[in-house]
Parts: sequence; structure tokens; C-alpha cells
Amino acid sequence: MANMYISDNSKVVVQGITGNQGAFHTKLMLEYGTKIVAGVTPKKGGQEVHSVPVFNTVEEAVRETGCDISIIFVPARFTFEAVKESLSAGIKMTCIITENVPVFDMLRLVEMAQERDQHLIGPNCPGMMIPDKIKLGIMPGDMCHYGNVAVISKSGTLSYEITKTIGNAGIGVSAYIGIGGDPVRGKTMIEVVEYYSKDPNTEKIVLIGEIGSDEEEKTAEFIKKNVSKPVVAYIAGKSAPEGKRMGHAGAIISGDFGTAQGKIKALKNAGALIADLPWNIPKLLKS
Amino acid sequence: MKEVGGFRVEAILIEELATIQHEYYCSIALDASGRQFFLIASKEGGIDIEEVAASHPEDIIKERFSFKQGLTRELAKNVAEQLGFTPQLLNAVINIFLKLWEITTKMEAQLVEINPLVLTPSGLIAVDGKMILDDDAAFRQPLIQNLEEKKLSDLEKLAKQAGFSFVELDGEIGILANGAGLTMALLDVLSQIGLRPANFLDVGGGASKERVYKALELIFKLKPRCVLINIFGGITRCDIVAEAIIQALKDFTTAPPMVIRLTGTNEKEGIELLKNEGINAFKEVIEVVNKVKEVLSG
Repeated sequence: MANMYISDNSKVVVQGITGNQGAFHTKLMLEYGTKIVAGVTPKKGGQEVHSVPVFNTVEEAVRETGCDISIIFVPARFTFEAVKESLSAGIKMTCIITENVPVFDMLRLVEMAQERDQHLIGPNCPGMMIPDKIKLGIMPGDMCHYGNVAVISKSGTLSYEITKTIGNAGIGVSAYIGIGGDPVRGKTMIEVVEYYSKDPNTEKIVLIGEIGSDEEEKTAEFIKKNVSKPVVAYIAGKSAPEGKRMGHAGAIISGDFGTAQGKIKALKNAGALIADLPWNIPKLLKS
Repeated sequence: MKEVGGFRVEAILIEELATIQHEYYCSIALDASGRQFFLIASKEGGIDIEEVAASHPEDIIKERFSFKQGLTRELAKNVAEQLGFTPQLLNAVINIFLKLWEITTKMEAQLVEINPLVLTPSGLIAVDGKMILDDDAAFRQPLIQNLEEKKLSDLEKLAKQAGFSFVELDGEIGILANGAGLTMALLDVLSQIGLRPANFLDVGGGASKERVYKALELIFKLKPRCVLINIFGGITRCDIVAEAIIQALKDFTTAPPMVIRLTGTNEKEGIELLKNEGINAFKEVIEVVNKVKEVLSG
């Protein structure tokens, strides 16, 4: 059963597997049961990391192991080339964990992926997980078990907090998707909400947002028109001092967007239930 | 020193007086969540442009285009014509728009804005402008490498060099957390129950022992009444955070009381390390929030 292009049968390649983070999280993902069949680090082909064979290129890894999903741990300035390589090798879904990837690199990569009907998630994201089946990312594995609530988040650690609270309340999760906190993303909040609004295994959606950008507002509009499943949301940053705004253009593009209050109002208006504290989400899911 | 809009005045630029016949607005802006760009222009330029956008949205021309396609001469011409320029000026305006796009791509800018673009008897003049650039592209943008963010306090500058996000607030609880969202949520929870944080500090993903140590050192400089540490390890490892805390407590004998919550990746190892040094760590946020209340009232 595929879920956001990954499943428990996905064969994963880790790009940047010989680095500190790459090697460490390869171990944790393997322990979770994720089928990691290959690693890639240029010039380090022939090595093994936690018994996973390392190749010089993604193309070689695909040819030798049949891997179809990639996760990226390479440093920001090499991420563009790494993702390009993954797309060229025909990888269906590439999950970009790396933070500080230049915005224009992401613009180019998103266009490449769209042209070939391939998929990216992230950057600067914790990855995605189908509990008890596959963990493709850096999130803790013991937050929750499988169930029927999809958790979609811009934030990393806050989503761990909330997902763990949901799990502790005995509620299961159909998919945990960290879309990442950067301005230009492989998958937007709307795209992921749309996916899970149609997913037969998902009955409710949890949305975790934070101040900045107009993504929650746009998603609220989408939910109002298209989503009949219950949505529970938490927005972080209610007490944050007003930050810098994007010149005049920001206000011109989407009016007064970006504040926690504005996002909460838009989501309420779309019929979502708003949790005032992160650990009130389970109560709202049960209501 | 005078502040304008929250920014300290660092320099004053004196320009020749322009004989203003009309003020226009124009910009190219990234619509990040839409993953496209806008060419935005208006006949009603000047400092009131935001009000114009709110009260007379029909006076703002907004045309979208993809990154791949870029701003075409055709679209630039279309917008210039909508602004009602005379044929003599049309080409100049089209070239200004195309130049904005050239700057956008060359500098990896998320906003390139001229406001106002002024019509004078001798032609068009860009009287004021603004750009938003990408810090993450600084490594290949030599022009922006040396730009200094003027609004930062000295401590905020130190934080930036050390690689974590830090904002000084006016409360009494020092905060060290990981992840912007979790840190903000923690501040929200504290504010909701009337506790006042001294700062926002997101130590960042996969923080090293040195980075966490530096973060603590910075927080101590704020002289908070206590320090609240909230780590939910994903790529960040609780054992590494614990090592930094132990080191800091050894080096700073006058450190304020610390209330610690460690959970997630390598949580057992982290809590064990602290325990060996006689330091207690909690696993739930609610526990540390209550403990902070207790420390402050004690």
C-alpha cells in the first residue's frame, strides 16, 4: 500500500551515508525496519555503512539494488547536485533532510521534479513515516503506532512533541509528513492535505503550522472548499514579537498574512478545530 | 541614536531633489508557497502603497510567471502598457522590469522593489529601493557575504556567528530549545500562564556539543533567574546535549538553576549522563514548566 509514494516495500538509498548524520540515521532507520538497500557518497563506492553497500552514484545504486526512494543527508551546497542526480536516476520520491538549501536551488529542483512527475519533500524537514511500516527520516521512531490520523507539519521538533502526545493518547497515525520549514518546498502544505483528504486510510488530519508565509491561510481556503474530513490544527508563535515583513510586496501579494492570529482565524473559518496547547490535540481528535 | 521603523539610523544619503510628476511602484517578488514569481506594479506608488493594496486592490497590477519561463519581454510590455506609459517611455519601463528580473536571478533575490519609481521632466528615476536576499546562498553571492544585519543586538550577532537563531526578549527565564516551532510553542505556553522568557533560542538541527555549550554561555550572559532547556531529539542527540550541559555547569560555577527536559533520539543515554552528575532531567514539557514555576517562586 503506497502512501505519499512510499510503502513498507520501498527500497531506500541514503545519499550522504558516510557522513555523521547519514550514518547515524541509517542505523536508526534500519532498526525501525526501513529497507535501506544502498548508500551513495561520491568517491566512496565499495565501502559499507552498517552493512549497507556504498556506491559512487545513484545511477549505479539503482542498477545494482533497484532502490526507488532516496533520502538526502548531504551538506546544503551539494544538495542541488545530489537531488538532480536522484531525479536523473529516476527515483520516484526524494526526501531532503538538509537545511540551509538556497531557495533558488529548490525552485530549479521543484521544476525538474514536476516535469518528470517525480516527487520531492523538504528541504529542512524531518522526513516522513508510516508508523510500524517505514521511517524515512530523522524523527524519533517511537512516537506512535499505525492508525487513521495523518499528521502534517511545517515544524520538525514540535511535530515530534505533538505526534508523541497523540500516540500516548492511544490514537494511531496513518502517516507523519514533515513538509519542512523553508519557503520553497518539494511538497506544499496544500498538496499534502489534498493527498490525505483523499487517502482511504486517513479519517482525520492534524495540521501543525507556525508564523510566517501564507501557506496555512492558503491551505485553510483549500480545506474550506475541498476537505470534508475533520481537521485539527495547532499554530506556534502566538507570543512571538512581530518580525520583519517582506517589504511592501508581501502585503500586496496576500494582504495581512503570516501572524498566528490570522492563521488561526482562517483555519477556524474553514471549519478546523484549533488546539490552544499542543497537548490538547488528542482531546480534539476524540471529540 | 534615532530609530526609524525599529532600525537604527546608520547613515544618511543625500540626493539631488527630483521634480516629481508622478510616483509608480514596481517589484518582482517570489511567491514562495506558490513556487512562482510576481511582477507587481502600480500607478499609485509611494509610501502609501500598502494602503492602496488594501483599499483599491484594482490599482495594483500583479502578473505571475514561472521561474523557468522567467519574465518575458511580452509580459513586461503588457504591464508597462497597463500602467499607461506614453510610447516614448514604454521601452524604458520595459527595460526597468527586465532589469529587475535580471537582478532577481543574478542575486538570488526574493524581492527586488523600486518604490517610488518617479517620473520627472527628464525621465524615470528610481528614488528608493529594497531587496530581500537569501542568507543560504551567501556562499556563492560575494556581494552579500559582507552585509551585516543592522537590527541585531550584540548578543544576537554572536548567536548568528555560532549558528543558532536567537532573539532577546525581556523576561527572566533563559530558554534553550531545538526547532523553531517547538521553541515558539514553548514560549507560547509560558506566556499563556504568565511566565516571561528572556530569549528565544533555537539551537538548530544536529547541534554539536560546542554549539550547545556556546548557546548556554550566551544565555548566562542574559543573567536569567533560571534556564529552561527543552530538547526533543530527532537529528539532535540528547547525549550530546547532556555532555554540553555538564561541561557548562563545570565551567560556570555561578550558573542559574537549570530545568531540563530531554526526550527523543538517545534520550536514555542523555538522561543517564546527567544522572551520573547528580542532575535531574524530565521527559515531559508540562513537568519542566511546573518546575520552572516552582524555582521562580522559591
